[in-house]
Amino acid sequence: MAAAAASTPQGVTERRGIPAASFVEDVESYLRQARLDVNSGLAFLQERLQQYKIVEMKLLAQQRDLQAKIPDIEKCLDIVASLQVKKALGEALTADFELSEGIYSRAKIEDTDSVCLWLGANIMLEYSCDEANALLKKNLENAKASLEVLVADLQFSRDQQTITQVTIARVFNWDVHQRRSKQATKET
Amino acid sequence: MQQGDGTEAQVTWEDQQNINRFGRLNNRLHELYDEIKLAKETNENLDDAGNELILSDEDVVRFQIGEVFAHMPRDDVETKLEQMKEDAAKRLERLEEEKESILAQMAELKKILYGKFKDAINLEED
Repeated sequence: MAAAAASTPQGVTERRGIPAASFVEDVESYLRQARLDVNSGLAFLQERLQQYKIVEMKLLAQQRDLQAKIPDIEKCLDIVASLQVKKALGEALTADFELSEGIYSRAKIEDTDSVCLWLGANIMLEYSCDEANALLKKNLENAKASLEVLVADLQFSRDQQTITQVTIARVFNWDVHQRRSKQATKET
Repeated sequence: MQQGDGTEAQVTWEDQQNINRFGRLNNRLHELYDEIKLAKETNENLDDAGNELILSDEDVVRFQIGEVFAHMPRDDVETKLEQMKEDAAKRLERLEEEKESILAQMAELKKILYGKFKDAINLEED
């Protein structure tokens, strides 16, 4: 599934909605086949580049969200684990927590069998410690898996950007070369 | 690629893949720089915490778990802190190793790409 280097060009034509940039073997035949003059060709490629950049921005935002979510879930797992440890010892857990900004209060948590988990959208559900562990672990796995897919998407998108940038440079250089040779033949 | 004089070497699919690979490595390298910075800070914080613990003489320490501070006996806190320090040190070592590996791979690719394209390509950090 990861967008590894294809063995032939166009081995991968798109990835999850992101079109692959076609690799140009020869600039002259590319422009002829697309029936584009140099300026239109460059404009088309620049537009493609902008589109890839937009996709990259979107993916980066999603990546930031996921990267913030994962430590949160891990903290929750920590707390549930501590509660279970205390329960096993038969002791109460005393904790200081923030009541409001700068104001802390003390809580004594005795013999807990259940915890409440915030599910988002103003919903909080009560679970037994074991159920909570299972749910949190599943959420953590999902988040990590999503992050992996996202990172692969980002790499793919950046590769297509690089290909497009290189193609732009090659079209430009080919044009310079053409002009110079035309100039040379004119002078002789 | 820089503006060439129009007579530079042709870019093959293999060259393109090398360029792509270099780009990916460079991106990962920058991510690593940030991650290493954070990991070093975490290590420092844990060391500071350890020192504070030694200086304080309370039997019950408020240890942060998530968003709350749980009351824990001093010995438990010491053990936990040692474990956290070990994990953090290992993580930092792993990150540094990855960084070295990436720098080596980038150096290899630079040799190949500069070898073929010489002036027509710029692979330096601007």
